[in-house]
Amino acid sequence: MSFDLNLVLESLPQMLAGFGITLKLLLVSGSLGLVLAIVLLLMRMSGKFYLDWLAQIYIYVFRGTPILVQIFIIYYGLPQFEAVRDSVFWSILREPTGCAILALTLNTGAYVSEILRGGVLGVDKGLLEAGSALGMSARHKLIYITTPLATRLALPAYSNDVISLLKSTALASTITIADMTGIARTIVADTYAPYEVFISLAIVYMIFTLAIQKLFGLFERYLSRHTRRED
Amino acid sequence: MDVLNGWWDDYFWGAVIVAKVFIASLSLMIIFGLLGAAAKLSDNRLAQKIGGAYTVIFRGTPEILVILLLYFGSAIALTALVQLFNPEVRFVDVPPFWAGTIAIALIVGSYATETFRGAFLGVNPGSIEAARALGMSPLQTFFYIRIPEMWRIALPPFGNHMLSLIKDTALISIIGLNETMFVAKQAITVTGKPFTMYIVVGLIYLGFSTIITLTVMGIEKYGNRTTVGAQ
Repeated sequence: MSFDLNLVLESLPQMLAGFGITLKLLLVSGSLGLVLAIVLLLMRMSGKFYLDWLAQIYIYVFRGTPILVQIFIIYYGLPQFEAVRDSVFWSILREPTGCAILALTLNTGAYVSEILRGGVLGVDKGLLEAGSALGMSARHKLIYITTPLATRLALPAYSNDVISLLKSTALASTITIADMTGIARTIVADTYAPYEVFISLAIVYMIFTLAIQKLFGLFERYLSRHTRRED
Repeated sequence: MDVLNGWWDDYFWGAVIVAKVFIASLSLMIIFGLLGAAAKLSDNRLAQKIGGAYTVIFRGTPEILVILLLYFGSAIALTALVQLFNPEVRFVDVPPFWAGTIAIALIVGSYATETFRGAFLGVNPGSIEAARALGMSPLQTFFYIRIPEMWRIALPPFGNHMLSLIKDTALISIIGLNETMFVAKQAITVTGKPFTMYIVVGLIYLGFSTIITLTVMGIEKYGNRTTVGAQ
């Protein structure tokens, strides 16, 4: 049992070939998930009890079950129905990548919508009252007061969720997708050297995580540029 | 629903294994979290570094990688160890139950480290001064003041860690633990109904999540019983 550095140097470029797929899964399901989260949030804020309930049930189900189960239900489960196989969505659902993106989107949407709601609830009531006093309509208050402030409040928690999403993309390897983790598992199956392969891949993910944290840190600084005192 | 006949008992025993993994990993997770928090809060620079590295590593690596590494890695390490004494042995099998339990406890423990650290820092300094004024020893202060105050702060995020833990148990099926996901896979090869079988798994997890959420809500209510009137 020894740590073979050559194997690391050999397998690292192979695994990095899957970086594009990991990045694609992260960016596509991250942005679609954000859209879904905003829709869910608007449903919860709509004041219509049926929309609110629908969103709450959705969030409860998707946060209460493991993402792996969701991926399997979509990839292995949906083709059980003929209606799905005949529908226009079949071209997406036939592909493992499409299924992974769908599952990750549905999952992250539920989590992010709760984060955004936390941001909205954190907005100072006094500012909204000031908006009303200035004669702003509900829509104007939403656009000019709630949205910018809630974004800034929700950003730290949101960056954590993007990191969770990155870690969840590794589960795409369970439905035959050759992302970084998928390639690593193939290499380990061939070489039977889990230490070298998995540890070096873990370091790649950690660097990716730190980069995301840094990026969001910069964005946070930019958004709160008015609140900093000049020294 | 007829297809499910004959599988209920398999699902039941699968759920029992999920519960067993949950309880074992919960105990380990609390230990890892407290150790991590102690290391991060200690005055020892080395301990701080180790605690910091622990949280960075396990929060930045996908869960599935940690599980795979611990499972295959410990098998290789144990085999090498056993071969020192008995060169005849070709391979030592590590039980997926323990490899998986330790892996998810390490992962969620790294999140719990931050929760516990924040909660210990959130204990009111006035309470500790009061304890000292009453002549309590540091040990008494720890058990009668710090712990009771700290767990009330830590409970809401700790409830989320428990939910992560129960959902992460699904990942252990990847290394062959015969829990509900594994049962579903077997049932699918016989019945050819993947959607139905995985939905049952989802419902079992939803049930577990609901029980945990309700329990945490109850404990939270109990923990705050003395402060309700004061607000």
